[in-house]
Amino acid sequence: MQTFSTRPFEPPVDPGVLRAQVRAFLAEHQPAGDAASRANSWAVADRTFTRALGKAGFIGMIWPKDYGGGGRHPLERYIVLEELLAAGAPVGMHWIADRQGGPLLLRYGTEAQRRDLLPRMAAGELYTCIGMSEPGSGSDLASVRTRGEREGDHWRISGQKVWTTNAHHAHYMIALVRTGERSQRQEGLTQFLIDLKSPGVAVRPIIDLVGGHDFNEVFLENVLVPDAMRVGEEGAGWRQVTAELSLERSGPERYLSSYALLLEFIRVCGDRPAPAAAELIGRLTAELWTLRHMSRSTAAKLAAGEDPALEAAIVKDLGNSFEQALPRMIQAISDVDLASDSAFARALALLLQIAPSFSLRGGTREILRGIIARGLGLR
Amino acid sequence: MSESQNLLLESAERVFADLAPGAAVETAWGKIAELGFDGLLVPESSGGFGGDWADAFAVLRRAGAHATPLPLGEAMAATRLAVDAGFDCGAGILTLASRVIVESRVRDRFTGRLEAVPWGGDANAVVFDLGGALASAAVAKARVVRGANPAGEARATLIFEDACVQRGEGAMSALSAGALVRTAQIAGALDAALEMSVRHANERSQFGKPIGKFQAVQQALAVFAEEAAAVNCAGQAAARAADHDGGAFEIAAAKLRANMAAAVGAAIAHQVHGAIGFTQEHPLHRLTRRLVAWRSEFGGERVWAERLGAEICARGADALWPFLTARGDAAQKERR
Repeated sequence: MQTFSTRPFEPPVDPGVLRAQVRAFLAEHQPAGDAASRANSWAVADRTFTRALGKAGFIGMIWPKDYGGGGRHPLERYIVLEELLAAGAPVGMHWIADRQGGPLLLRYGTEAQRRDLLPRMAAGELYTCIGMSEPGSGSDLASVRTRGEREGDHWRISGQKVWTTNAHHAHYMIALVRTGERSQRQEGLTQFLIDLKSPGVAVRPIIDLVGGHDFNEVFLENVLVPDAMRVGEEGAGWRQVTAELSLERSGPERYLSSYALLLEFIRVCGDRPAPAAAELIGRLTAELWTLRHMSRSTAAKLAAGEDPALEAAIVKDLGNSFEQALPRMIQAISDVDLASDSAFARALALLLQIAPSFSLRGGTREILRGIIARGLGLR
Repeated sequence: MSESQNLLLESAERVFADLAPGAAVETAWGKIAELGFDGLLVPESSGGFGGDWADAFAVLRRAGAHATPLPLGEAMAATRLAVDAGFDCGAGILTLASRVIVESRVRDRFTGRLEAVPWGGDANAVVFDLGGALASAAVAKARVVRGANPAGEARATLIFEDACVQRGEGAMSALSAGALVRTAQIAGALDAALEMSVRHANERSQFGKPIGKFQAVQQALAVFAEEAAAVNCAGQAAARAADHDGGAFEIAAAKLRANMAAAVGAAIAHQVHGAIGFTQEHPLHRLTRRLVAWRSEFGGERVWAERLGAEICARGADALWPFLTARGDAAQKERR
């Protein structure tokens, strides 16, 4: 039984040239900071960095040039992403527009939506957030209750979204809304682009356990959304959302969240590490190297138009387990004062606390393993 | 996969499936030699099949899935190393050794022991690492102490007393070559044990339904599938790197990852099978006992992890990402 067939990662350009371009960009534009600021960097939002990245053509790379994109190959984008994440660059501001918002509009959006929004997204000036989860809808996404009623050429939308990353920076929320009767739970859902400056929208922060502000609650009270801002067909929301979720499971962000700490650990071990430290570094590197190949193979399949849903779930769960175990294992063999101000201690302390989120965001471990079990023919 | 690789795999699959589980090497090896499988990695110009490590990985993975009780991978790898190093080893089975205890070596005279040599008592010659180069010695020159690994596969100690050895250079060490062989076999044995476990979970009923319907069992088998997938990807990437430049780094990482997965996979396979999987009669043990044994052969976790860790620390933290990406890009470029 082979559950993970592979496909070689063959970008149409010399990867070395592209890597050199990204590294040169980072040398000029990446803000100075310690390892803690580089950890989990796709959750770190930085408007200045994002604008520079957009100007350099590294956002919306694979979108058509007509819409302000770069017209590049998906594997070129993959190379840029892994370089940015391995360097710990703050890519959180534009992350969702680049990864989900833009691709969603290209697949299902209207010509007017594309012309209006994609060029500004690619420039690093327009940001989106995703309104899926609700207080009563976490893993059970089909149970969303935010309701949209048609009124002429508008929709009147009311409800509440939660865990909405970056809603406090974003211009638009891509919201999953119930617009039809719920005889079948997955039917009657529709996606909308909601302008977060619309009357009736309230964004309130949710502060995470380390005091960070990534999450928000978004309250929608009789918000009028033009039908022109509906994305895709009425009632097709579930299909659109699940296709998108499987596309975002296998990227380099799924195993690199703790990479900044591994580097800091290698730094503190020096060039002649104790045997136990060398052993741990070797072990973690072997896992990292393996995950990189798994992620790249899955990216190659996506780029070739295949649907590697099972492979993507495997990459995410294995990658999340790795990036969660890494801080734990480094803590176990280090005699470190977590109250100290060293770069190593700060990165370790941060990752030990935020690591639980890695296997919650974008599909919990339990949901992913259920998907894998289905792929094995068990359900 | 190329047409010739497909044909090769099909004929390998037939041979492996026909071999009885307890087949003896004396009777079974003839078929392997007749088909020229041991020459798979030897260039056509030297009378071989002209395959690469990617082909060998695919074949050895199936051998692992069938728990084929023959030194097929050892022979393939040793034959290739012997050709690269310019050794003349004569006919018969060639095997590989990585546990080398040197008492003395003066030019081409060797006194010492080779331990845990796969089918060392059945081979004609052995290829091993000696003083930073490759060496080969005729088994006839050694005192042979026969033994077996925990899976019952023949492992011998070869004791040499001032024996004549050939020495030469190659792109890979015997340790690396053996580690890549075992990685492929582990990948295949995990595939087969996973398939057996999923089938069992779907057929065995308790509490009125197949045990595979319980989430606890599903989640365990999902973890198993992830581990099997990891070894498959790591092994294929290592095989490509081996074709590129010997792939010492990638093989180290792949065997280390395979060792980790072998331990997890064997444990889950037994847990899912329950008591029936613990019997001599059930075929599961042919896979799991090999997984357990292979984990320690041609480098256990610690051997490879310490080696990799020391290498990475010597280069320094800032060199790690450039190193990983340059290695991957180079191996890919070569294929294109």
